[in-house]
Amino acid sequence: MKEDKEIRDDEIRIIGNESPTPQPSARRLWRWVAGGLAAVVLIIVLVLAVRSGREAAQSDAETYFDPQPAPPVTEVRAPQQLGQAVDSLVRGFTEMRDTTINDIPLRIYIPHNAEMALHVGRLDKCDTTIVYAAQAADIRRDNRKIVGAFVLKGEPLAWGLSKKGYCAIIDGKITVGVAANSPLFEEATERDGYFFRQYALVDNGQLVENEPKNKSIRRSLCDRNGEIMMIETLSAESFHDFAQALVDLGADHAIYLVGSTSYGWAVDGEGVRHEFGVENPRMPRNTSYIVWRRE
Amino acid sequence: MTKQLIIATSNDLVRIAPVRIVYISSDGNYSMLVQADGETRMLSFQLGQIEKMIASQLGSEGNIFIRIGKSLIINRSYIYYINMPKQKLVLSDVATFNHTVTASREALKQLKELLEKEAK
Repeated sequence: MKEDKEIRDDEIRIIGNESPTPQPSARRLWRWVAGGLAAVVLIIVLVLAVRSGREAAQSDAETYFDPQPAPPVTEVRAPQQLGQAVDSLVRGFTEMRDTTINDIPLRIYIPHNAEMALHVGRLDKCDTTIVYAAQAADIRRDNRKIVGAFVLKGEPLAWGLSKKGYCAIIDGKITVGVAANSPLFEEATERDGYFFRQYALVDNGQLVENEPKNKSIRRSLCDRNGEIMMIETLSAESFHDFAQALVDLGADHAIYLVGSTSYGWAVDGEGVRHEFGVENPRMPRNTSYIVWRRE
Repeated sequence: MTKQLIIATSNDLVRIAPVRIVYISSDGNYSMLVQADGETRMLSFQLGQIEKMIASQLGSEGNIFIRIGKSLIINRSYIYYINMPKQKLVLSDVATFNHTVTASREALKQLKELLEKEAK
């Protein structure tokens, strides 16, 4: 029998059965064959390209007149980006992508042509500029005040350090990080910026453990290769498993957003609003949200 | 007599008939055993260790269990519904309990093919 560590998330095996486990499907084998053929074709194309490049270089050397300008270099998008390349003239929207990591179904929200800010108080559902909204900081049960330091457009509304994760938005630049003391709090107050604190989930690509052990729908704000995205589990998960999935997704920094049934929505490229959580008209007036608005 | 699965630590012991296990899921360094009576039990073993216990104690009778990916062992007797696009697997006795778990599409596809093959 194969060792435990050998099993992948896309495999199954019958326990206690020495007979061979189900073989990969024919389609999967075909995929391998097709992949191999594609690799061979690619190598041939590359070899031909290198040869023709050499020939072109030789012919240039023999040319008397000034060499022709090189063809424009097409912009190559960083392969690390998860979101699609979007023209800056396109109306802002939120790209939604579903994936599974470590058997955890995830929905990834990537806003395009939109800017993030914080909002305190009830959201206006009729505000058509909002392309994504989700609850940001936690609220204390006893006094209904915001948990952790919080700055709203330069105005500090709360102080304190109960959670080490933070997000700062200063001059449109979003910084997600982990620090007990961050100068970005003061900077946000000085430059009409925004700042809030939440549980840290990922710090420099490393998982951060958190105390709560229960399972729930989890949400987070992530920085992955400079690309900011919100990620939500579609099943109840522990903090640990969620943070591990974010690490495996390649998140550099990630902090928690209020999970469970907290309410929010995303507007896709077709202008359709996708709501999540449960709308509660009796939320405390200190309820805060991250809000992405069309630029 | 039907073999019983025994999961023992230095402090306690769980003895359960395999047919009473609906599924076991991974929870970090622990595993969560879900029983047919609706009870759940946290086990201080990783899923791979549980898998080895099943294989060594139950032998060929252990083949009612199927390991699905890294985080799930299910009792195949209770497979009721597979939905690959939604990555959903429902384990039920169609009478008293109904548990929905998630798995990768490829794993569910292999599970579906296995069941179809066995039905022929």
